[in-house]
Amino acid sequence: MRGLARRIAALVVSIGALALVTGAIFALDSFAPVLSLGVLYVFAVLPVAVLFGLAWALPVSIASMLAFNWFFLPPKHTFTLSDSENWVALAVYLFTAVVVSGLAARGRRRAQESALLAEIAASLLEREQVRGELDRIAEEAARALQVESARIELGSQRTGDDSYPLEAGGRRVGTIHLERPRAGTAASRRHLLPALASLLGIAIDRERLAREALEAEALRRSDAMKTAVLRAVSHDLRTPLMAILTSASALAREDLELGRDDRGQLAETILAEAERLDRLVGNLLDLSRLQAGAVRPAPDVWTVDDLVVQALDALGDAGGRVHVSLPEETAAVRVDAHQVQSALVNLVDNALKYSSDTVGLHVTTTPSEVLVRIVDRGEGVPLGDLERIFEPFQRGTNGVRGGAGLGLAIARGFAEANDGRVWAESRPGQGATFVLALPIVTQAAE
Amino acid sequence: MSGSRVLVVDDEQQILRALQTSLRGAGYEVETADTAEGALAAAAMRPPEAVVLDLILPDGTGADVLRELRKWSSAPVIVLSAVDDEQEKVAALDAGADDYVTKPVGIDELLARVRAVLRRTAPSGEPVIEIGDLLVDLQKQFVSFSGEPVHLTPHEFDLLRVFAQNEGKLLTHRTLLREVWGPGYDGASNLLHVNVSQLRRKIEPDRARPRYLLTEPGAGYRLVDPTARA
Repeated sequence: MRGLARRIAALVVSIGALALVTGAIFALDSFAPVLSLGVLYVFAVLPVAVLFGLAWALPVSIASMLAFNWFFLPPKHTFTLSDSENWVALAVYLFTAVVVSGLAARGRRRAQESALLAEIAASLLEREQVRGELDRIAEEAARALQVESARIELGSQRTGDDSYPLEAGGRRVGTIHLERPRAGTAASRRHLLPALASLLGIAIDRERLAREALEAEALRRSDAMKTAVLRAVSHDLRTPLMAILTSASALAREDLELGRDDRGQLAETILAEAERLDRLVGNLLDLSRLQAGAVRPAPDVWTVDDLVVQALDALGDAGGRVHVSLPEETAAVRVDAHQVQSALVNLVDNALKYSSDTVGLHVTTTPSEVLVRIVDRGEGVPLGDLERIFEPFQRGTNGVRGGAGLGLAIARGFAEANDGRVWAESRPGQGATFVLALPIVTQAAE
Repeated sequence: MSGSRVLVVDDEQQILRALQTSLRGAGYEVETADTAEGALAAAAMRPPEAVVLDLILPDGTGADVLRELRKWSSAPVIVLSAVDDEQEKVAALDAGADDYVTKPVGIDELLARVRAVLRRTAPSGEPVIEIGDLLVDLQKQFVSFSGEPVHLTPHEFDLLRVFAQNEGKLLTHRTLLREVWGPGYDGASNLLHVNVSQLRRKIEPDRARPRYLLTEPGAGYRLVDPTARA
């Protein structure tokens, strides 16, 4: 459809230009020798060459020559020439017209090619991911190269004829196969293909480089993680184990004279340290599940009251230091109770660790969320650390108070697995507030 | 209660030994088994008065044992579960277990639970049930706390009735939903959670720290008498 319209347009412009120039020569005929006016036909050939290429400019050149002969050269209204001089003039006009139109058409093609390349370059740059869209890119390339279809293959293997290597940095990264080229377009393809191929090669390689950079970063992080885990394991697991071993071996020795109180104390130590070990192992497991993405929440509708109750219950005696305020109307959330309870316990536990005083737990609601604020009166968190403290194995910079630095990372991990958020706010010197936000679900009471 | 025969089933020998020693120390007669088959055989040979049952056994699950056992025995069963066995635990409770304890278990906790299930008798036919400061009159559909009348919605009252008739017993979400809302409401735990929260607002002096209506995470709820806790 577009081809036909374009052909009609070319025809109209060609005939129009021819008629216009012929009219102009008629008008100027009385002022100048007619032979010198023949050069004006260049003004008909040139626009056609620029707009529609050599294929149209050439017939227009010949038609100009014939029209000039017919209308202006004696004997008029015949294609014969009386004067042999005029033959030479006509030949010169024709030659000039052909050369000029050839140059113009080439200029036009170059401009088109650069525009195409620029367009493809832009579209390649816009794409985040080249690999997933090879088909679409191949389609664009086929259009630019004027072939029926094109196919891009990744990898360095050489395949078949009609293929062109895609290279980046001297390495073959892929191949483009061209199928059924359109007739008469070989020249433009010869120009375009190398440039296009190097563009594609670079785009494909850029992706490989980005992926490698990402992998290197992940590797570096997992290395840092392993170091941190090892440090935590060696210190935080060993300390309670040591205490248990010492106490238990003392109890087992019959030659030691231990009073009732001493025995009781040793047993207490074993109990407390074993519980500490159990918590730590539980935290390490939770964290590794979170990091492996293996946390699958089993959501159910719970009231926030109930979640707070469960968290306080799990905190045991320490929960007594928590001052709780619940809203008048309870709100319902859809979460995995165990995971959110674990998030709350870790947040409160952290607050208790940094606050010698009581810790506040205030539940408020917004139209879309329940906010559980855990307020401590410790030293607060420096502004620069507000995010860092949520990374595993990180402790606040001010003071180290036991624990492997897992709690906040677990709290955030579980909150996010349940569509919630956790963040820290702090007023320096006045303590910190940790906020757990969970989306509200509409209540169903009866 | 001492002298009662308790069957302990666990496939980990260390745990079996620790439980056996502790229970024996508390005056119980202890039988042990380390497989599902062994447990059923031991229970058949010397019928126990209570069973402590590990959920994961080499030749089956605790729930399987429970279903077999329930065919001929009504001895109370306490399920021993690890944190990861949430679903198994609920399955066992729904299959008729009376209570559960989570591993690693403190012996105080286990002994208290064993004492409680041994003490528990069938629901009394009494029309008026008193639990601590809570009074539930089933006939008059009247509830008071510390002598003050408490106004409940019909569902809240039904819920409290089921709890009161099963004082101290762990009731699973499924059991409660069936008893109060009827079959077909199995998945409607939101109803249960919201009604429990509302009930707490009405009968608990401090609803952030309930003393009567306790949540058993991942399993259900139980109503206890805080004034009678051993």
